[in-house]
Amino acid sequence: MAVNKRTYRGYAGALTPAWSRFLVLYRFARRTQFRSKVQTVFFVLCFFFPLLCLLGLYANSHLSVFSFLGQRAGPFLDINGSFFLVYLSVQSALSFILTAFIGPGLVSPDLANGALTLYLCRPLSRTEYVLGKLSVLLITLSWITWVPGLVLFFVQGSLSGWQWMANNIWLANAILWGSFVWILLLAMLSLALSAWVKWRIAAGALLLATFFVGAGFAQAVNAVLRTKQGYLFDISRLVSIIWQGLLRQRGDPPLPVAEAWIAVLVLAGLCLLLLMRKIKAAEVIR
Amino acid sequence: MKELWWKQVRAVIHLEMNKTFFAKRGLWIYLLALAPVALFLAHTLIEIHSQGVRHQMSQKTSRPLTEQDFSSIHSGMTRDQVVKLLGEPPTSHMGARRVQTGPHSFDQNPFEIMRYSDGRSELIVSLEKGAVSGVSISSGTSLGEDTYIFAGVFQFFFLRLAIFFGCLGIFMNLFRGEMLDKSLHFYLLAPVRREVLLVGKYLAGWLAATVIFTTSVALQLIALLSLYDSNVIATYLYQNHGWSQVIAYLGVTILACIGYGSIFLAAGLLFRNPIVPAVLVLIWEAANPILPALLKKFSMIYYLRSLCPVEIPVDPGMPPLLALLISNTEPISAYIAVFGLLTVSVLILAGSMRRVCRLEINYTTE
Amino acid sequence: MSNQIVFDNVSKFYGDVLGVNRVILSIPPGITSLVGPNGSGKTTLMNLMTGLIRPSRGHIRIFDMTPDQPERLFRVVGYCSQFDALPKGLSGYQFVYSYLMLFGYDATTCDELTWRAIDLVGLREAAHRKAAAYSKGMRQRIRLAQSLAHNPRVLILDEPLNGLDPLVRAETIALFRSLAKQGCHVLLSSHVLHEVDIISDQVILMSGGYVIAEGNIQAVRSEIQDQPMQILIRCDRPSELASRVFREDHVVEVRVHNDRRGLLIKTSKPDRFYLLMNKIALDGIRIESVAPIDDDVNSVYEYLIGTEEVTR
Repeated sequence: MAVNKRTYRGYAGALTPAWSRFLVLYRFARRTQFRSKVQTVFFVLCFFFPLLCLLGLYANSHLSVFSFLGQRAGPFLDINGSFFLVYLSVQSALSFILTAFIGPGLVSPDLANGALTLYLCRPLSRTEYVLGKLSVLLITLSWITWVPGLVLFFVQGSLSGWQWMANNIWLANAILWGSFVWILLLAMLSLALSAWVKWRIAAGALLLATFFVGAGFAQAVNAVLRTKQGYLFDISRLVSIIWQGLLRQRGDPPLPVAEAWIAVLVLAGLCLLLLMRKIKAAEVIR
Repeated sequence: MKELWWKQVRAVIHLEMNKTFFAKRGLWIYLLALAPVALFLAHTLIEIHSQGVRHQMSQKTSRPLTEQDFSSIHSGMTRDQVVKLLGEPPTSHMGARRVQTGPHSFDQNPFEIMRYSDGRSELIVSLEKGAVSGVSISSGTSLGEDTYIFAGVFQFFFLRLAIFFGCLGIFMNLFRGEMLDKSLHFYLLAPVRREVLLVGKYLAGWLAATVIFTTSVALQLIALLSLYDSNVIATYLYQNHGWSQVIAYLGVTILACIGYGSIFLAAGLLFRNPIVPAVLVLIWEAANPILPALLKKFSMIYYLRSLCPVEIPVDPGMPPLLALLISNTEPISAYIAVFGLLTVSVLILAGSMRRVCRLEINYTTE
Repeated sequence: MSNQIVFDNVSKFYGDVLGVNRVILSIPPGITSLVGPNGSGKTTLMNLMTGLIRPSRGHIRIFDMTPDQPERLFRVVGYCSQFDALPKGLSGYQFVYSYLMLFGYDATTCDELTWRAIDLVGLREAAHRKAAAYSKGMRQRIRLAQSLAHNPRVLILDEPLNGLDPLVRAETIALFRSLAKQGCHVLLSSHVLHEVDIISDQVILMSGGYVIAEGNIQAVRSEIQDQPMQILIRCDRPSELASRVFREDHVVEVRVHNDRRGLLIKTSKPDRFYLLMNKIALDGIRIESVAPIDDDVNSVYEYLIGTEEVTR
């Protein structure tokens, strides 16, 4: 009898649910993610500003703290849309830097080293592969964006009372969706660029270029064409306009909020298209 | 010996051209270079269209209008007063704006936008609730204004971003990219001195960057000037130092490719991840206006700004930081700027030569 | 000018990891095979010879040149490395031609040498296709062509037969032999020991970064004192022969072959044993053949490197 028929048996035990298989990619990526000391230290530093905000919220609600210092003081922070707009702006900049560390190395090494074939010859579809890689960024960036943001909201709610929370529940929505738009866009962009150029380093350069050059080109378009439509090329400006809409900020944004949403959706669509074109098991060269 | 070195340099350039510069993965560099061309072309086409529209509008007014007529319109006037002065508007747009009057209440505010033209300028009158709320006069473009805008786009977008990132992509590819492709050893196994190899690769990168970006500058200028008639162009070129500006822009582009090319070639040799030094250089270049005098000299933008032919005027209402970035507070002479940039580039390349002689191939650790 | 490739007490460390240590070698012309398990230092040795990496200690000389002189060295040295990658965007012809241009040859010479090299590896029909579209075997052949296009006197080949079909393997081996006959140094590494046996004039066995043995394979085998030589004797009366040889104190084991027409003998003194065979043959036992069965690379590898792996 052939050896494989004597002792080898196929696995007959329980299987993990099919819908969650893509999370395998996240679990493995997580192991290597924080091997870099610089990246780990930076990730920890990303919690510094939310911590500062938390201390500010507490001090704002416990003004008696200042009486120990011999000072009389009134509330110095207005916990409203503007407060969370500042919070989102700072954390979005930090999440961009973290994406520049993590994002380029997600897809390009698999393409460059032919590892994509190994993934796709398992019961893993291209969609699941992309979802798995996206989840690495989405989960990591969530920890430094909407998660601490919601913590701040609920802390403020607990300090100010149930009525405040009920009146301002839209803030929690705005924090959640505003953060999600930003981190989803970052994740898709870095994955798409990583799939396009196949070099981790070039993908990192392209990610930087997309934001910096995009912002510069936006200003150039506005100056040359005497318009404000140039901001359609400035990704961070578009998301900032969306946040202003979600956080009900007064003032005149340079573009209508609806236009910003459409531009962001178009960009996400382009990223998705690029990913579906580039994520293939084999590349045919003629 | 020198003839052999020159043959080998040419062979390296030939190889690099075949391998890299018309590859699909360099497409984004071409897009970067062509983006401002598309921009100025769009500007020209839009302006030509606007001129046509203004001309048509001027034909539709009851009488020919002048700039004085436009100047007589001011905020607070009623619609009837405006129509009495200028006649019925050839173009008018009406609508209603939704305005929040309370926490849950909204109101509709009617508005109207009237447009008049004298053939060259355009008057836009905004009315709300029957009264003039805003007046703007746009005079179309002039070559003088356009040269300042071109200067701004050149200095702040093209030099600092397009050429910067384009050179990053081209020169980083020359050594670091070949390491990642696991093909650098073919060069090191050829009977070529490593210094000659470095010179050949640098010249190949510089040639490609120069061709791409000088073509872009030339096309931008052509797109810009094509808006104006031949008399205006001739006056600009021959009497208003136009040719010297064109040559200066092309020269600055070539020097920028030399300078940034040397930096990124060195970064590709010295750093496993050249993005980190690229970001540092970007920040360093951006912070140049606020650096001490000695440190300023170790920056490409310090020399390149002094060579730009048109100084961008500082608007009194501009934020101070932007004004600081725009103004060239310590301009240096062209000769010193060229000499300084070339000296810094040569020093960087000399350091790169020392590094390449000690270069080891170990692809498994890349 | 010296005709040897010399390693003078060469060591290479990658940080704390040993690449090779205290290598002292002198490689003569002919076909020399580098044999050893994965990670033994074969590729490190080849990369050191060609200057792709620098030794932490010691010196290397190829003829009267060092790896620090690439402009002289690579006119006489060709290296086909193990890296499977090829420069992007080039056809097979362009790959060989373009790197020949680096020698400073004119276009006609480059073209002639390119086609000659491509014909040697049998890739003429595919020469103008993009090298990235080649199969593994074709990529191996075109890299081989590139390494010998300039008629080198020293050819260094890291696993050159990888991915080649049996016919091409035979042709390639014949090519190496013809180069060696012309006085070239051909240094190659391989894991296919029976091929190493066939083609090599000398072997260098490596393990754990050390050179375990070097030289002609029979000479190396004779140095291994702790492993008795195994000899197969085909004869008509194996049992009688066995009783005769058992009397000798240098014979440590005798087994009758499964077909009962031969004896497998282990002896610690093969020279005395062969003298004994002469006497036995004169005594009337018909001996058909006497052949050592463990003086090949496979056996030497197992004795020297196999035992090392076990004792680790």
